[in-house]
Amino acid sequence: MRRSSTLSRIGLHATMLVLVVWSILPFIWTFQTSIKFTRDVAAKKPVLWGYETTANAYRAFWLDEDDINMWSVLVYILVVAVICLILGQIGRRVRHSWPWFTAAVGVIFVALWRFPKVWEVNDEYDFLVNSIVVTVLTMLISLSIGLLAGYGLARYTGISGAVILIVALGFRALPRTAFVLPYFFGAKEIDDWLASSGVGSWDFPLIDFPGIDTLQILDTRLAIVLALVAVNQPFTIWMFRSFFIEVPKEIEEAAMMDGATRLQAFRRVIIPMMWPAIIATGLFTMLLAYNEYLFVRVLAPTEWTLPVAIVSLTGGESSRTITEAAAASVSITLPIVVVIILFQKHLVKGLGAGAVKG
Amino acid sequence: MDPTRVAGLRRRGVKMSTVTLDKITKIYPNGFQAITELSLTLEEGEFLVLVGPSGCGKSTALRMIAGLEDISSGDLYVGDRWLNDVQPKDRDIAMVFQSYALYPQMTVAENIGFPLKLRKISRKERQEQVWQAAEILELTEQLDKKPAQLSGGQRQRVAMGRAIVRRPALFLMDEPLSNLDAKLRVQMRADIAGIQRELGVTTFYVTHDQVEAMTMGDRVAVIKDGILQQAAAPEALYDNPDNVFVAAFIGSPSMNLYEATLSEVGGHYQLQLGDQSLAVPEQILASRPALRDYLDQPVVVGIRPEDLEDAAVASDHPNDQRLDAEVAVREALGAETLVHFSIAAPSVDSGDPDALDELGDEDVSRCTARFSAATRTRVGDRIRVNVSTEKLHFFDRRTHLAIRT
Repeated sequence: MRRSSTLSRIGLHATMLVLVVWSILPFIWTFQTSIKFTRDVAAKKPVLWGYETTANAYRAFWLDEDDINMWSVLVYILVVAVICLILGQIGRRVRHSWPWFTAAVGVIFVALWRFPKVWEVNDEYDFLVNSIVVTVLTMLISLSIGLLAGYGLARYTGISGAVILIVALGFRALPRTAFVLPYFFGAKEIDDWLASSGVGSWDFPLIDFPGIDTLQILDTRLAIVLALVAVNQPFTIWMFRSFFIEVPKEIEEAAMMDGATRLQAFRRVIIPMMWPAIIATGLFTMLLAYNEYLFVRVLAPTEWTLPVAIVSLTGGESSRTITEAAAASVSITLPIVVVIILFQKHLVKGLGAGAVKG
Repeated sequence: MDPTRVAGLRRRGVKMSTVTLDKITKIYPNGFQAITELSLTLEEGEFLVLVGPSGCGKSTALRMIAGLEDISSGDLYVGDRWLNDVQPKDRDIAMVFQSYALYPQMTVAENIGFPLKLRKISRKERQEQVWQAAEILELTEQLDKKPAQLSGGQRQRVAMGRAIVRRPALFLMDEPLSNLDAKLRVQMRADIAGIQRELGVTTFYVTHDQVEAMTMGDRVAVIKDGILQQAAAPEALYDNPDNVFVAAFIGSPSMNLYEATLSEVGGHYQLQLGDQSLAVPEQILASRPALRDYLDQPVVVGIRPEDLEDAAVASDHPNDQRLDAEVAVREALGAETLVHFSIAAPSVDSGDPDALDELGDEDVSRCTARFSAATRTRVGDRIRVNVSTEKLHFFDRRTHLAIRT
């Protein structure tokens, strides 16, 4: 008995070790490549250790200047990260956490805004901004719609509710490629109409952004956000619905008896119970939007996000672009890794059932 | 409630409200009629218990008063206010749910204070009132805990706290004790009834447990299939049930009900119960003249278990008011002994869906007797059983209504 259990434990751990190495090795390899000199990357016999390190690839990818000490950039990023972490930790511990979380978001915003004023940046910096804008907007819109629709569909048990849910599931099951061309042609039709009718060149006081002369949809961040929200919505609705179903109806009714309107009951009692679900669904939506390639490539020929920017680097054969692509890959992955590590507890909780049982 | 006490409670700011349900009916969209013309009036400060078997519509009635279900027809008044179309939040009614429905993310203090917060009462005043409620409910130690850290009984009290902190016009309680274990239930039963009497708030309490109904209510309303059967004080309900259902539903063990025939033989009355007969004293018919119309016809006769006694214990009982029985099961409870035997008479279905079906032959029925602990009967003994004939209940066989006049 004892022996077989020991054996099976060794087997289990060995399997886990293999899986961990299997998933981590590419990251290590990419990271190594990103800090190597070109000659080591190009060497016939792989140079695994003892090589000279450099931040040249990072500099080349992000910055438009050659003689900048990359340590100063690293310090800039670390200071911002530490300030945000401190604000976040305070926010988790105090009663009214909103000001602290808002402050952290503000710090990130200011840091992103000041960065190009301190250092000369490449186009890739715009792609980073695009990535962030697309991700945040997709998250906000998806979560808002998903919360309301999920709540409605969880409480409404009529036949049309079931139809909506099944149709949503069906669209979720279709491959991305089935949607991308219709979206493209649709956006093109609208742009053609905007251009031919002259509406596109009207002077809208509110949409009068600098650098945008004509109103259009194709090749804008808006196009990407709209498409991503559309494909992601079934997921958020289903996810939230399954969480709302676990919230007993009596809790809402109790709130209503206590003197709340339906909306107050939703906002002050139900939503606070839903935080694990909101965080988990938000993280999944974030990953989807941040990693999206196909929609960005087709709907926005020039307004790229970072994944497309990386691919443009791996197309070439020269080793210089390989280190740059590796550097890009690492700098794109790191923020996501940090976010996932911070919220991994919620991610697991969100996937497990019964997270909000009263 | 006694008028001086009403005046006293009024002075302390308690809203003493009457509640009137006038022919309230609930019909669901699928055509199911859950409640039929329910009419009830609760006096100021009264504790009324609505009791019935599962699925009888009692929770629906409560939810209509709360405003969580629409009233299909009929009128609902609390005091002089017509409430049919008033939103739940504006009804000034507090409700305690079966599942407690506490807000899991809030502490006990926040849970209790939530109704006050919604009414925009200042933080200081809120804390004071929450503290007062917590003192009444002995929850002051628990105020900073979350519901998940509390025991069942404590959660129940938090739910009570959320209701009493508001000083509402009416309390609604939907089986608040059914999730507690038996011992705690007995204690909370007394606690809730005590708190209600102390606060003096009119209370409408729903339960399926007739013991709760009998012990807690000033008045008990028995409902079956959405139709009110009888509303009366617990003792009146027990001693003078209006129909077979109420007779069987109230009391544990249930009243024994049989079809029997009353006849006059040589100037004496006797009840033919299967193959046995019981002498019925003249005064029983004297107090119920209507019973004469049923002579030589089958009627439903009801015998409470405590109106049966082992003849060996009480030997001075008239011999012609005794039944023969063979003991099938004996349950010694200490203070008393329950003895089950069969009687060769057709049993009567009281209509309680929760009651056990009679087993086997339809001409043989079970009988439960509550003997004093002095009985020495053993399973299999052939015994004589005294019947207190003056306490027999008679019902019409067709309408199941009591024959009392």
